[in-house]
Amino acid sequence: MTAAVTTVPAIGSGGAAARASRWTAYLIVAVGALFMLAPFWFMFVFATHSHNEIFNLPPPLWFGDDLLTNFKLLTERLPFWRNLGWSVYVALMATVLTLLFCSMAGYAFALMEFRFKKPLFGLVMATMLLPQFMNMIPMFMIMDALGWIDQQRALYVPGAASAFGIFLMRQFATSAVPKELVEAARMDGCGEFAIYWRIVLPLLKPALGTLALITFIQSWNNFINPLIVMRSLSNYTLPLALRSLQSTMNTEWGALMCGSAIATIPLIVLFAITSRQLIAGLTAGAVK
Amino acid sequence: MTMKLPRLSPKWAPYVFISPFLLLFVVFGIFPLCFSLYLAFQSWEPTGGLKAMEYVGLANFTFALKDAWFWKALKNTLWLAIASGVPQHLAALPLAAFIHTSFKRLRDGVIAVYFLPYITSTVAIAIMFNALFSQDYGMINAALAQLFGMEHIDWLHDVAHVKPAIAFIVFWRYVGFNTVLYLAAMQTIPGELYEAATLDGASRWRQFFHITLPGIKPMIFFGVTLSVIGGLQLFEEPFILTGGKGGLQQSAMTSAVYLFREAFDFNDFGGASAMSWLLFVVVALLTWLTNLAFRTRKGKQ
Amino acid sequence: MTFSDDFMRGVRTFAPSRRAVLAAGLAAAVAPAVRAKEARTLTVAAFPLVDQIVKDAIPQWQQRHPDVAINVVMRQYDDHHTAMTTALSTAVYLPDVMALEASYVGKFSDGGGLSDLLQPRYDIGRYRDRYVAYAYDQAINHKGQVVAAPTDIGPGTMLYRKDLLDRAGLVESDLQPSWDAYVDAGIKIKKATGANLIGNVKTLKDLMIRGGLHKGQGIYFDADSNVLVNSPRFQRAFELALRVRRNQLEGRLETWSNEWAEAFRRGATATELGGSWMVGQLANWVAPKTAGLWRAAQLPETTWVSYGGTYYAIPRDSDPQKKALAWELIEMMTLDPSRQLAALKTQDAFPALLAAQDAPMLEEPQPFLGGQRARVLWREAARHITATAVHKQAKFAEDAVNAELDSVLDDGKDIRTALADAASLLELRARR
Repeated sequence: MTAAVTTVPAIGSGGAAARASRWTAYLIVAVGALFMLAPFWFMFVFATHSHNEIFNLPPPLWFGDDLLTNFKLLTERLPFWRNLGWSVYVALMATVLTLLFCSMAGYAFALMEFRFKKPLFGLVMATMLLPQFMNMIPMFMIMDALGWIDQQRALYVPGAASAFGIFLMRQFATSAVPKELVEAARMDGCGEFAIYWRIVLPLLKPALGTLALITFIQSWNNFINPLIVMRSLSNYTLPLALRSLQSTMNTEWGALMCGSAIATIPLIVLFAITSRQLIAGLTAGAVK
Repeated sequence: MTMKLPRLSPKWAPYVFISPFLLLFVVFGIFPLCFSLYLAFQSWEPTGGLKAMEYVGLANFTFALKDAWFWKALKNTLWLAIASGVPQHLAALPLAAFIHTSFKRLRDGVIAVYFLPYITSTVAIAIMFNALFSQDYGMINAALAQLFGMEHIDWLHDVAHVKPAIAFIVFWRYVGFNTVLYLAAMQTIPGELYEAATLDGASRWRQFFHITLPGIKPMIFFGVTLSVIGGLQLFEEPFILTGGKGGLQQSAMTSAVYLFREAFDFNDFGGASAMSWLLFVVVALLTWLTNLAFRTRKGKQ
Repeated sequence: MTFSDDFMRGVRTFAPSRRAVLAAGLAAAVAPAVRAKEARTLTVAAFPLVDQIVKDAIPQWQQRHPDVAINVVMRQYDDHHTAMTTALSTAVYLPDVMALEASYVGKFSDGGGLSDLLQPRYDIGRYRDRYVAYAYDQAINHKGQVVAAPTDIGPGTMLYRKDLLDRAGLVESDLQPSWDAYVDAGIKIKKATGANLIGNVKTLKDLMIRGGLHKGQGIYFDADSNVLVNSPRFQRAFELALRVRRNQLEGRLETWSNEWAEAFRRGATATELGGSWMVGQLANWVAPKTAGLWRAAQLPETTWVSYGGTYYAIPRDSDPQKKALAWELIEMMTLDPSRQLAALKTQDAFPALLAAQDAPMLEEPQPFLGGQRARVLWREAARHITATAVHKQAKFAEDAVNAELDSVLDDGKDIRTALADAASLLELRARR
């Protein structure tokens, strides 16, 4: 489960050549890190400049003083707080529903026996390989048939049946929940729901945490689904609202950058707090 | 938790537990897919309402196969998938190796930074790069002019340059992700292998090629498969950077963007559905070929 | 059966006990609020700047119908039309009144999703002569139904920087005899001032291919869905575009982009071709500081075309109880000269109502155009424009032709081949 950190021959040992190669490694990795961070830097810098300052030669490299003006413009042109609120709401709902449904189903797949268990799981896994674009039109049609066009539930309900979520839960449940424990509880007269709620769920906590993070991040960043099913500006989530702002004729790029920065910050904060957990969970799943 | 739930017999429990998931899966996963297949055989003018569908047999499929734009979009998609995918992995492998061997204390911080592009909203990133790639006022042209004396390139409106620009953005987005994946895999290679090799006098390069790479082969396979599938369904970056249109001469129109336009701009849902199934065949084929490629190489070993 | 009827019936039925009297008193206090909730709302879906035009009309509407509120739902141009397409295809969340740009009227006209306004309950036929002829004709579909009412039009016009023309020793009439003369003038302007003739040569192509159409003919397809892009009209447009490019008279800027706007601000673009509403855009945000330097003129070669325009439509499946009110609103917006002129004043929307075009406001000098009485020009132009049919695949055709033009201009593709390629692309789709 936890990858043991292997001991690799320390490059520090050896002479100047080894030290030089160590410093080369540092340099290359550092340049890589700067490469990753540079666009974010500009996003935040541009968020504090006016449109004309951004589209100037040379472009600004340090912060300006137009942040408040940009924010004011942003809220004038978009129902920004509503959009932000919807992003939060949809992401939370998606997380809660996904955790609930996937943990229930993952537990069942891992520790219970029932007809068609294997083929059903195979089918679910097969859909993971389905390219995203297969869903574009069907998603629209089914939401249309249900009358869910332009409603937020169209955004968080379908994803609750996440194949990846089931995969993760089942994997984890198989290894973290001892079958004997469940049997024992059953023999003690514990109800099925109680077993799930009081015994299985707590044992699944790490996987739940990882899945929660992944679901929240994916829901927050989701652009295609809202693009297909949402139709009113006041119902848009952030990515869609930002794109709508970008496609106006008279785009205010300062405001747009400000909006993009605000859309990015919550995830950066969340990620900063939970990065270890998230990466460990993801890579553990992948390494298997 | 004092919930008074009805007593559930162990016999029925599994079905109850999987039913919410199953319901959603059927309603939002299976059924729409079947309907999409059905729609591929219909001609439908959407503004006439649902009753306006009529059966047209294979007409949508033959239309798609004869349509020059369908093939153009496919070519664009393949180009972008390769141009953004290959560098991702070529850069990620050595980067992962460097981090693996050199960074002990700062490792978590470095990993977090490398992962950051991956978890950021594509829309925010595309908007960002839209400004950076501006012909007259963009940072990238300014830097290129400063460093290499190059003339300003119209990255986003020039047929020859828009695809490289998009490939660059996709590369930026995923190279860190792949680095972290490979790093995780490298950590599972037993240290004794390296020690033995060093004792034998093998250089670091040889160790990399003969121990590290083979050791993380499954992860490479996983990463490449993800890139193949991801590259073939590329939508958001080209969509945002070309204002949803696919760029000049449709040079940045990927298959997914074309699909979207066919359905939502040109209102041809039947044709778009047929196209999506044809594309699915392509993706399945390429995924299978990737699978094959890795298996053969494994066999050779 | 209003609330008050029920209330009175209730009072008469039951003996007025003390409790009943108390209840009656409470009910009477609540009644006004309840009646207000019964007030109806008319939903109007629009895009900028039409939404503002409708909002400006609300006070006048309230005077007529104090109990009917108007809710204007605004979306950006693209998003609005996508949303309308969705609404029409799902018959859900249909607005009562739908604003549509001219090209989308064509797109939706045969689908059956818009009400036929010739029906007796609307009877738009009796107003036919009040509207600009081509604008009315544009809304007639293949079944002879009128699917929308015109509210503003975009008569094609040529805008030019007088100061730049002066420096090149040219006058307006030098550009007008023919499109070739226009390009020749562009060469002189470039030589004398360094400014480009036009920001994007596609606008030139767009206006050229719109000219010289027979009634009922579309730009890309004719009435029988035959493809027209191989015609001399397109050939000439492409040739001229190539000439513009070869002489480096084009800014090669994407219309509406930052760089395109910046070029106007810096005087790097000498002319612009488009609808009359372009003046408003230039004046409001594109290049407001260049006010007074521009003039408007009729298009070269007496080309009379329409570029844009707005309509109001009533969806067939919208709430039937509100259709009469919806029609009344449309009548007010399109047939009341005061509303038409208000739109002209605030948003530069050129009236489709002939009566409004006769108002003195049209003789007013336009400050952005150096005091020129340009609206008179556009009124004149509107009288000569004939309706063009819009084919279902017109949007695709536009993209396809633009792509071929780019390959001619950028890659040196042969014009004949390019048009033939576009034709074969369109032929595949023409009858789908």
